[in-house]
Amino acid sequence: MSPEQRKADLAALPPDPHRLPVKGSWFGPDAERHLLDRPKFCPMCAVDLNQSGGISTEYWAADLRVFMTWCGGCGWFGEIVRFDMVTITEEEH
Amino acid sequence: MLTVEQNEELTSVGPSTPMGELLRRYWYPIAFEEDFDSMPTKTVRLLGENWTLFKTPIGGRYGIVAEHCPHRRASLTYGVVHEDGIRCGYHGWKFAFDGRCVEQPAESDNQNFRDRVQQKAGKAQTMAGMVWVYVGPDPAPELPRFDVFVMDGVKDCGYTTLPCNWLQIMENSVDPHHVEWLHGHYFEFLGQTHGFDAPKAFQKKHMKTGFEEMEWGILKRRVLEGSTEENDDWKIGHPLVFPYFMRVGGAGINQMQIRVPIDDTHTWTLFFSTHSPKGAEPSNQDRPVFYEYQWKDEQGRFITDYIEGQDTMAWVSQGAIIDRSQEHLGRSDAGVAMLRKMFKENMKKVADGEDPIGTVREPHERIDLPCEKDKFGAEREFANAWITGGSMRYSPIKQELLDLHENAWAARESAGTNA
Repeated sequence: MSPEQRKADLAALPPDPHRLPVKGSWFGPDAERHLLDRPKFCPMCAVDLNQSGGISTEYWAADLRVFMTWCGGCGWFGEIVRFDMVTITEEEH
Repeated sequence: MLTVEQNEELTSVGPSTPMGELLRRYWYPIAFEEDFDSMPTKTVRLLGENWTLFKTPIGGRYGIVAEHCPHRRASLTYGVVHEDGIRCGYHGWKFAFDGRCVEQPAESDNQNFRDRVQQKAGKAQTMAGMVWVYVGPDPAPELPRFDVFVMDGVKDCGYTTLPCNWLQIMENSVDPHHVEWLHGHYFEFLGQTHGFDAPKAFQKKHMKTGFEEMEWGILKRRVLEGSTEENDDWKIGHPLVFPYFMRVGGAGINQMQIRVPIDDTHTWTLFFSTHSPKGAEPSNQDRPVFYEYQWKDEQGRFITDYIEGQDTMAWVSQGAIIDRSQEHLGRSDAGVAMLRKMFKENMKKVADGEDPIGTVREPHERIDLPCEKDKFGAEREFANAWITGGSMRYSPIKQELLDLHENAWAARESAGTNA
């Protein structure tokens, strides 16, 4: 990631400094990416997930970053996945 | 991984917090009946607040009020218990069971003052040798009479207070994989290092796990190596009972694991078991046996050569409150993510004025929970391993429990019903 891109990304973080990952902490960059990349809106009803009382928990599966997400507005519950490359595992055939 | 704010919301249990409001919709065991054999009052701490629990001398009725007198804040635990309430020992203010101030001896000419004072109060009742309390808004739900507490059998309960948030203990309940590692391979490693035989039943590899939302919480299923979906571990499974229990069992042992949120950084943990193996003699116990189990040695190290000691090491060593903004979950942690969703969903229900999941409004005799009976395909070995390799090893009736299961096994053998 370019320094410019990172600067732009960081500008999008929430304003309260206490909410940010601790500077220099070992896993700080992961927490920072989580803040930037977690879904902000429901894929079904488009409501703000924070304001609707929803939650998105991130877990990793190989290169995938999976956000198990529940919308407090419409009740949609599912996974939103970030990936860099689409990979397909061929089932036995 | 969560944000810092989400972690705080999920782990703060005090009054007026979203989680605190949700948790105040449930009954909690907070003391034992035997605590009141010699004293009529006890200070207890629940959901970040101190309470005075009391028992009336003649009727034996239990009540619970906030500990500090609203007059000048002395502890009501050092008060005078009457049949219709409790009186502060300092200046004699008296409170009814519902918290109404009914007497102010030094203010007898000013009734209006008395009527303007309301002490925070809850409800209390007994079940299975424990005193259960409800400190939420009216109308209070029914106390759920879950099967383990009311079924016949020999009852035994180990307990302790742990210095960590209750949620990390609950997340462990939807983390099946820890069993094969913490209680399987780590146990084996300890056995090899220290020269004892670790139980083998826990080492079986998880081939598949499932999590299903159900009436009482989340039903957890697993297929272990060498088993199929026809085995109890998958076909029946066992539930996390929202928001603070886990029902487990097998081999004639029925157990409710109880995690009472004392405050944000302390949890009262209890392993309440009812032993009722087929073929056993009926129990003639007056009360369950309660005892404290040990989890730290003289050097202050965790005691990890038994199941609950291993769990305790994991829960407490995660920190007083896990920093979930620094965690890295994997696919096998899907149950953990699902539980967090369930908490958020029910916080919202409460905020919207609805009853959360598991609220019981109808009087009932007993609530049966789904729970596998054939555990890991190792009945006799499993019962023995659970008693000798779990917190029950600290039980004053450990040998009686071992004999109970062994005799029941022998009775089934002679009757030809052990198949």
